Amino acid sequence: MSHKDSPDVSRRKFLGFAGAATATAVAGCGGNGGTDTDTDEPGGDGTDEPTDTPSDGTPTERPEPETRDGYLQRANRIAHEQAPWVFLNRQYSVYGKSDDIEWQARADEFIDAYAISPATDSGDDVVINQSQMDSGLDPQDHRATPTDNIVMQAYEKLLDRDREGGIVDSLAEDYSRQEEGLVRFQIRDGVSFHSGDNLTPEDVAYSINRIVDPDTGIASPQQDQLAGVTGAEVVDGERAVDVMSDGLNPIVFSLFASYGPIVNKSWIQSNENSYVNQHMDGTGPFVLETYEQGVQVVFNRNDNYWKEAAEISSLTIESASESSTRVNSLLSDESDIIVNVPPQEVSRVEENDGSSIAAAPSTRVIFSAMRYDVEPFDSPEFRQAVNYAIDLESIVQNVLSTFGDQTAQPTLDGYFGFNEDLDPYPYDPEEAEALVEESGYAGVEVELHTPVGRYLNDVQIAQAVAGYLDDLENVTASVNQRDFQALASEVTDGDIETNPHWYLLGWGNTTFDASQTLIPLLTSDGVLTSWSNEEFDRVVEEAQSMPSEQ
Amino acid sequence: MSYGRFLLKRGLQGIVVVWGVVTIVFMLRFITPGNAVDAVAPLDASPELRERIAEELGLDQPLYVQYLDYLWELLNGDMGYSYISGIEASSMVFSKLPATVELAVASSIIAIGLSIPLGVISATRRHEPADYAATTFSLVGISTPNFWLGIMLILLLSVQFGIFPTSGRAFGFVQAFRITANQGLGAGADAFYQWLRFITLPAVTLGTYFTALITRLTRSGMLEELGQSYVRATRAKGLPESLVRYKHALRNTLIPVITVLGLQLGTLIGGAVITESVFSWPGLGTTLINAINARDWPILQATLVVIGTGFVIVNLVVDAIYAYLDPQVVAE
Repeated sequence: MSHKDSPDVSRRKFLGFAGAATATAVAGCGGNGGTDTDTDEPGGDGTDEPTDTPSDGTPTERPEPETRDGYLQRANRIAHEQAPWVFLNRQYSVYGKSDDIEWQARADEFIDAYAISPATDSGDDVVINQSQMDSGLDPQDHRATPTDNIVMQAYEKLLDRDREGGIVDSLAEDYSRQEEGLVRFQIRDGVSFHSGDNLTPEDVAYSINRIVDPDTGIASPQQDQLAGVTGAEVVDGERAVDVMSDGLNPIVFSLFASYGPIVNKSWIQSNENSYVNQHMDGTGPFVLETYEQGVQVVFNRNDNYWKEAAEISSLTIESASESSTRVNSLLSDESDIIVNVPPQEVSRVEENDGSSIAAAPSTRVIFSAMRYDVEPFDSPEFRQAVNYAIDLESIVQNVLSTFGDQTAQPTLDGYFGFNEDLDPYPYDPEEAEALVEESGYAGVEVELHTPVGRYLNDVQIAQAVAGYLDDLENVTASVNQRDFQALASEVTDGDIETNPHWYLLGWGNTTFDASQTLIPLLTSDGVLTSWSNEEFDRVVEEAQSMPSEQ
Repeated sequence: MSYGRFLLKRGLQGIVVVWGVVTIVFMLRFITPGNAVDAVAPLDASPELRERIAEELGLDQPLYVQYLDYLWELLNGDMGYSYISGIEASSMVFSKLPATVELAVASSIIAIGLSIPLGVISATRRHEPADYAATTFSLVGISTPNFWLGIMLILLLSVQFGIFPTSGRAFGFVQAFRITANQGLGAGADAFYQWLRFITLPAVTLGTYFTALITRLTRSGMLEELGQSYVRATRAKGLPESLVRYKHALRNTLIPVITVLGLQLGTLIGGAVITESVFSWPGLGTTLINAINARDWPILQATLVVIGTGFVIVNLVVDAIYAYLDPQVVAE
């Protein structure tokens, strides 16, 4: 009989502030990301290296990691070896772009219009066509990427991300950890809102409190994004704000690089919510010109911006839910950037004079989770067998038209805690069949539940995975196509027993920190967990007890 | 039965139908997969957050309480608030209604302007090339799916030749009038030109099926009327053929055609969903699709109730006109 995972599921306390920051995640959105420290050398501390390399296949001994990065890398290694998921692909964001502009896609899916340069005279007035419009203009009263793409042209955060996801200064010109649970941001001077009011530390403290404290104004849906943050207050005599957290909160700077738009306190307090949802008063590079809810938003360049003014004069954001409509608008020179170009439309964009494809790896990992508490997925050998059975390279090549990267662990390349020593499982059907025999589940029938149309070619990926597994002589596999909301209801109800035994999902971790994937999806008490492993829980707990900035 | 009683009876029947629509629309939420909390809550939301959301949305109440609350609020003109944006559902839906009505009316005008002459020509030149052309057109028009026709028109006339924009809506008809009034004829002419450019392709797409249907109806009606004995009598009296055809036969043909026109207008308002989606036309159809995708039930319910009620009202008006024109309907 197989080795079973330890079923200890009831003792974790460290998840209190974790997991929630990733909420855009499975919902199909992307977001921003970054880490508290540079991740130029993943695994560079060497703590995930084995002390020896036995040739008989026995488990290797590894020393205890010394840093948070090392612990997260170790957690990724455990996940790779125990295979609670079928590791699939990193999804790409695929855009169509007009040759009238110069622009590069970002890892966090935010379309930063400030980074657009005109390449021709007609590139001065830029039109972005996305799949949905905003859900209102209050920057703290939503949590969706299409809305971010609109409101964050006018609003800014304390910290920001560069194109690859690294943290850069924004409205805070410096930041430091004062003590456990307390960090300080020095607020930039000489910044003004579009209304003409100057940015003050009071605005910053109010903005943070408006998100984390429902009594400050609204019950912000972004409360979970600033996970663990309990409040903010102005530092007496300094142009600075202290931010308090419940516990260490090792990724606090990462959170403020991804979330927490800053608003004008007096403007917010003197206007009704409905007004704030239809107007803007930010500090960003674009000023709202006209707003037609659900139809079109037009911005003009902010000539009083605290950095150099944007290169383009005006920005219009529209939407078309049909991808073919977006592509047609690009080919007709009506749009300059369009989102989510499906693989079958890529050639139309590339073959057209005056347009091209701009693609970038997104923050979303696609995987299929296998419940550790039910047969046959309670066997690590069986789970490994599923990974060996699929030709992931072929799936990326043929199903995703190369718009995807193979994965070998839950964490994506470039994230804090990514373990670069791990390679994807090779395609080895014979090894897979042998592992199925070893697991004791030869002849078993399994069914993969997949959402329809939620992620790029999700059904086709699921059919390929089930097809490869079904090709094994000792396993029968099929696909069950599900409505996403129905599937999500089962997975998110907090009861693992209602989860399908095997299901495909996507997870967008916008913090660029491994913990925000590992904790919600794989620790014993994770909100969306499908697995329980004592050693994995211990390693993640250790990681969360250390600051990232070492 | 008097005309007044007839109208009263039809009105009461209409109210029952609207109540049925409201009830079915309300129940949809409970018979479709997933629940409203999942649509609103982040996927990694804690059970406590889910409970709070359910409480805020009133979803923790028993079904009958939710239903009675919904009916009562609807009677008071309150359709609820969007789960996603928090915007009042009634204001969102009614702000989109003019675009949809405008599209339905424009497609009806195209349909009427083309179909009746085509039907008449087809009937009066039976078995001639014009008849074959008209019947072929009507067969193709009825058989062509809206979404395919829309995409083909965009590819040909927008992408290939650049005559029309691919999608969107520049101005409403009323807005173009306002521009004319405020900024003069030059600006007004430009506004109407832009309005026409944007509405042409969606209106043609939506109106093609309608055109084909009315063409066939007009043709068969004309053929039937032209075979009637009163037509022979008018011809025997020596009336010119044009008077026989257009004053007598066509007028009688138009009675059922007008009935169908009225009913189809209601269908157009509801049936514009696909066309609006293909052309990103910011009307009720696009709103409905977005609400379905987001599981935004208040907007979804408000849109369906408005479409359903609109359909009932159009039917009532058609019934009233029909009964006025043909008193036998009241007697029956």
